[in-house]
Amino acid sequence: MANGRTRIPFYRNVKILGVLAQSVFVMVLLIGAAILFTNVNSALKKSNLPADFTFLDDRAGIPIAESAIRYETDNTYLRAWVIGFLNTLKVALVGVTLASLLGVLLGVMRLSRNWLIRQLATIYVETVRNIPLAVQIVFWFTAVFTPIPPRILNPIELPGGIFFSNQGIALPWLYPTYRFAAWNSWLLLALLVFLGLFLWRRRQIWLADRPGNPWLLPLAVGLLVAAVGYGVVERSGNVLPEGIAADFLPDRGRGTVYLDADGNGRLGTSEHSVPFVSLTIGISEGQLETTTQNLTESKGDVNSTFRFPPIEEGEAERIEVGFASPVDAEGYDLHFLRYPSVGLVYQDHNANGNFDSGEELVDPADPTKKGFSGVKLVMTVSGFERTVIADRDGGFRVPRFELPGAEAQVEGGNANPFSVFRPTAAPSEAEGVEAVITLNKTGPLVLSRPEIPVSEYVGGIRLTTSYLALLIALVIYTASFIAEIVRGGIQAVPKGQSEAAKSLGLSDSQTFSLVIFPQALRIILPPMISQYLNLTKNSSLAPLAAYGELFVITSIIANQTGASIPAATMLIVSYLSISLSFAFVLNIVNERFALVER
Amino acid sequence: MTETGIPIARADAPAGGEKIIEIEGMNKWFGDFHVLKDISMSVNKGEVVVIIGPSGSGKSTLIRCINRLEEHQEGRIVVDGIELTDDIRNIDQVRRETGMVFQQFNLFPHLTALENVTLAPIRVRRWKRTQAEERAMYFLEKVGIPEQAHKYPGQLSGGQQQRVAIARALTMEPKVMLFDEPTSALDPEVIGEVLEVMVNLAKEGMTMCVVTHEMGFAREVGDRVIFMDVGQIVEVGTPDHFFTNPSEERTRSFLSKIL
Amino acid sequence: MAVSRKPPRREVGLVGWLRKNLFSSISNTVLTVLASLFIFFALYSLLSWILFDAHWERVWVNLRLFAVFRYPEDQLWRPLAALALCLGLLGATTGLSRRTTENPILRGVFFSFSLVAALLTVVALLFWESVRWSWLLVSLSSVAGYIIGMSRLRIGKLLPWLWAASFPIIALLLYGFMPGEGLMRVVPAKEWGGFLLTLVLTTGVIPSFPIGVALALGRRSELPAIKYFCIAVIEIVRGAPLIMWLFVASLLLPLLLNVDANSLPSVMRAYVAITLFSAAYMAENVRGGLQAVPRGQTEAAKALGLSGWQTTRLIVLPQALRAVIPAIVGQSIALFKDTSLVFIVGLTDFFTVANVVASQTESLLITGGIRLEVSLFIALVYWFVAFRMSVASRQLEQKLGVGER
Ligand SMILES: Nc1ncnc2c1ncn2[C@@H]1O[C@H](COP(=O)(O)OP(=O)(O)OP(=O)(O)O)[C@@H](O)[C@H]1O
Ligand SMILES: [Mg+2]
Repeated sequence: MANGRTRIPFYRNVKILGVLAQSVFVMVLLIGAAILFTNVNSALKKSNLPADFTFLDDRAGIPIAESAIRYETDNTYLRAWVIGFLNTLKVALVGVTLASLLGVLLGVMRLSRNWLIRQLATIYVETVRNIPLAVQIVFWFTAVFTPIPPRILNPIELPGGIFFSNQGIALPWLYPTYRFAAWNSWLLLALLVFLGLFLWRRRQIWLADRPGNPWLLPLAVGLLVAAVGYGVVERSGNVLPEGIAADFLPDRGRGTVYLDADGNGRLGTSEHSVPFVSLTIGISEGQLETTTQNLTESKGDVNSTFRFPPIEEGEAERIEVGFASPVDAEGYDLHFLRYPSVGLVYQDHNANGNFDSGEELVDPADPTKKGFSGVKLVMTVSGFERTVIADRDGGFRVPRFELPGAEAQVEGGNANPFSVFRPTAAPSEAEGVEAVITLNKTGPLVLSRPEIPVSEYVGGIRLTTSYLALLIALVIYTASFIAEIVRGGIQAVPKGQSEAAKSLGLSDSQTFSLVIFPQALRIILPPMISQYLNLTKNSSLAPLAAYGELFVITSIIANQTGASIPAATMLIVSYLSISLSFAFVLNIVNERFALVER
Repeated sequence: MTETGIPIARADAPAGGEKIIEIEGMNKWFGDFHVLKDISMSVNKGEVVVIIGPSGSGKSTLIRCINRLEEHQEGRIVVDGIELTDDIRNIDQVRRETGMVFQQFNLFPHLTALENVTLAPIRVRRWKRTQAEERAMYFLEKVGIPEQAHKYPGQLSGGQQQRVAIARALTMEPKVMLFDEPTSALDPEVIGEVLEVMVNLAKEGMTMCVVTHEMGFAREVGDRVIFMDVGQIVEVGTPDHFFTNPSEERTRSFLSKIL
Repeated sequence: MAVSRKPPRREVGLVGWLRKNLFSSISNTVLTVLASLFIFFALYSLLSWILFDAHWERVWVNLRLFAVFRYPEDQLWRPLAALALCLGLLGATTGLSRRTTENPILRGVFFSFSLVAALLTVVALLFWESVRWSWLLVSLSSVAGYIIGMSRLRIGKLLPWLWAASFPIIALLLYGFMPGEGLMRVVPAKEWGGFLLTLVLTTGVIPSFPIGVALALGRRSELPAIKYFCIAVIEIVRGAPLIMWLFVASLLLPLLLNVDANSLPSVMRAYVAITLFSAAYMAENVRGGLQAVPRGQTEAAKALGLSGWQTTRLIVLPQALRAVIPAIVGQSIALFKDTSLVFIVGLTDFFTVANVVASQTESLLITGGIRLEVSLFIALVYWFVAFRMSVASRQLEQKLGVGER
């Protein structure tokens, strides 16, 4: 205060006026909040809806197609919500990585010396970012991933044991087994070796006083130590844990690997399952049945198609596929699309022993209508043996065999390369097959390959079409923004910089990596991080692809329980914390670059 | 005396004149940093006071305190009998009575030169537009650029911009004009035209506080020169005294560098 | 003495261009060939599908659904009259602006939209009997507006008021005010849909503007209570995605206002959410503009004796807002695209109509449905509007950046 000789009336004192304005403002806010609060209170009383978070412990009963950790519909709302959060992370992390790669590629393409490449990238960017993301998600989900991929029993097999079908992509995946703990000390050792070597190398380079790479050698040695440890653990003696057992129900084709605590040979309610155990299932004699169907697939209508659970030729000593009823066996023939599981039934009009178009079955009631379904087929398998990896919940599946009926009778006369057996009588009622289960030894990690034991993927890692559609749309959309950021960042580095670098005699690649890139990165990184945040927030468009992430799960919770206020709070708080963590990272990045600047 | 060892001088106006600015024992801090230390000075009506000193010595801060662009924490500042306190009415009055010219001109780029000049008379003094424009043209003529009235600042040279800025301040008919290094951002060849305007203004009897390094200006029209260093007034005197035999060692070393 | 000669033949002309841009090196040539192959096959398959395989007739017969969804057929002249009003005003503004620097940009936007209107008018005259004259009105109104703008009539002062007045008029036109079944009967908001609804929701950017400016000014306030309140509002709103706010608004608004859930139409809830969401982003855009105004400007204004509010209104805002016009246009485009999220509160905007149409025709035994067709159709419409506006926004940006006056 300068002085107090003359008293200033309060309504003219700038300081008091400021305080006054704020108090009025806060008062208005408080009154507004109070009104809203009483409104909410009375509305809640009227409707009797939950207003606290106790409902989170109730059974959720929400089916979620994919989850990163164990989840069953019997789990609580809280767990369902956690699954949603993890699923958001799953799409965001993968999306951010892919979008960066694609975005950088496109950004560089926009600066290409080649006119055509430049134009292609420009068209991409200008098209993609001016179409709403919602439209793109729906496009990928309903117009591409729903109609185009083949059905699960006739999947596209890509090299490396990857399957692609209308249920999504399944990839082989490494999982840690119950023996992973034995490997831990080796991993620790590897880490120490790595650190020690790294420090030593760095000092050496510093002493040598010239640029060098301190990472390469330590990394290689560290990995070597870990690999040796893996081998030692894998080879060391007694491996199966005490009391491990497998409970298998042959008539359902399902089983669980578990720790038999009470030793009664059955899976009790208090007994724990063991995940990721390798086991071999042997079935000496069994039979599968199926019925032909008329289907609409991506490439058009397919009539009288049959599909057995997939069994490979190498998995059994003998496989025979034939008609269940002798009547069909007389009139129809079989054409395999994928031996022995998928094919179609046809009438060999021209008797060339092969299916030609026009030879599909026709409806006997209406001969003008193409397509007739309902022909029963059986597959008889003997000496079946399959090695599977139990899932995260200890569960495993194989085709559900039944006891073979009447003795199979094989006849020649069909030009198919595969024998077709034609039974003389209908099979008797099945009673259940005998199965032999062998638990295999495993190392610390197990490579789980996806399989299709019946009509869904088991094993490996499965990405649903929902996930893929959302992911692809997000990646393609975000990449168009990243491309612009990358292009702008590189262009923002003054031309004089590369001229100066070249005049010092640096090569083109040195100019880029030592001069241009570090400067461009400083411009690129902050907006790039906010694009990452955008991608994460945009993953909330998941309802359009039926992908169960944070927003979808929470909105289902809100709708099921009517707990509007808790659900809204959960949503706001989760998204806010996601945004804040991005802001945190952004701050660190900015700080680091600010330091570099000095 | 301060920690620098240089005694703090007072810059009182010659007796007999009518004091229009009085500053008594004024102190100012930016956070912990003591920018202005025990400033006591006064300016008579019609006087031209030139403030010089090395960069960072607090010259700008001092004259910005006179129209409350900066708030002082201790001491008194009285302008034309109005003390600068937290009283919003006093602040408004002082600002109306003082004109200021900045180093960076600070013309409003979205308004033409004429609109720049008439804005405050119309909005603050509540003159009629025609009256304001008449006065504005009078002052634009006075600074020598009536033909530029309808151009935007971006279309004018630095010297022209600064002259518009002076006209803008003058049209409010202030009792005191404050100049903060009005020629420092100008190209050497246009400095002259701005200085000429200022010299004319001084000769017409305008009260002026000028921060500048133009020693020629100080010598020609300055009534008193105040030398500041590290936030305090070090020496005060007539231009003659300053440029012939300054008494402080600090002043001498400064002048030897800039002359 | 040096005589200037022409450069060697291979450096200029078509050959030079080709050499420089497509075949400058072996790797470049390989890229050119690969890219050409890609373009050829992509174009070939796309065109052959568009021309021969696609079922465009399903889109054609459903065009009314796409445009207005369930808006009563006998009242279709009302949205079209609203469109005529908008285009007329835009035309007048464009015509009037012929001496300003923004004119080419405005003219480009106006011409492209009125060209589309003219095309649709021709189609309407040929095929759509019920809206024939209304479409003619739209085209005529845009031409008339432009001519009036170009003419010597002094409507410059009037135009802002006309624009302001057009909003209540349009609202009245769309909603109606007469009870019963008459000419101007009430068409409740739940019957609005399609592109009409998309446009109506996009106007949320207009009320969001003053709110955003207020938030931005509040954020720069020296009074901590106001400052931190504004920061909190802006950051919380921007921290979560729009779809979440739409959902939360539809959950909470009835509770917060303590009214029956049914008495608060979904359109209103969505509009509130969209406006507030847009306001938070607007605030950040405006803040960018405010930061770009040098401190000297406020100081000069203060030194002249202008009050705080006068300084903001006369000096700071005009400069700040001018600088952020491109950003605001960009934000309107984003909002236009984002209105597609209102499906979450059960509204049937342009995007949702596409899904409705696609699933309706699923049963028509068209192999694979018409998902691709409707997706492409709505994508094209969204793209045209968004792209045209973003081009304009970029031109504006350049003009403001270079011009600077
Ligand atoms: N807003 C501020 N916050 C903190 N410190 C400031 C601020 N403004 C000025 N200063 C500091 O106060 C000191 C005096 O600044 P002032 O601008 O008055 O110096 P000056 O004498 O005008 O110098 P110059 O000749 O370079 O203009 C400087 O050290 C400056 O860094
Ligand atoms: Mg200064």
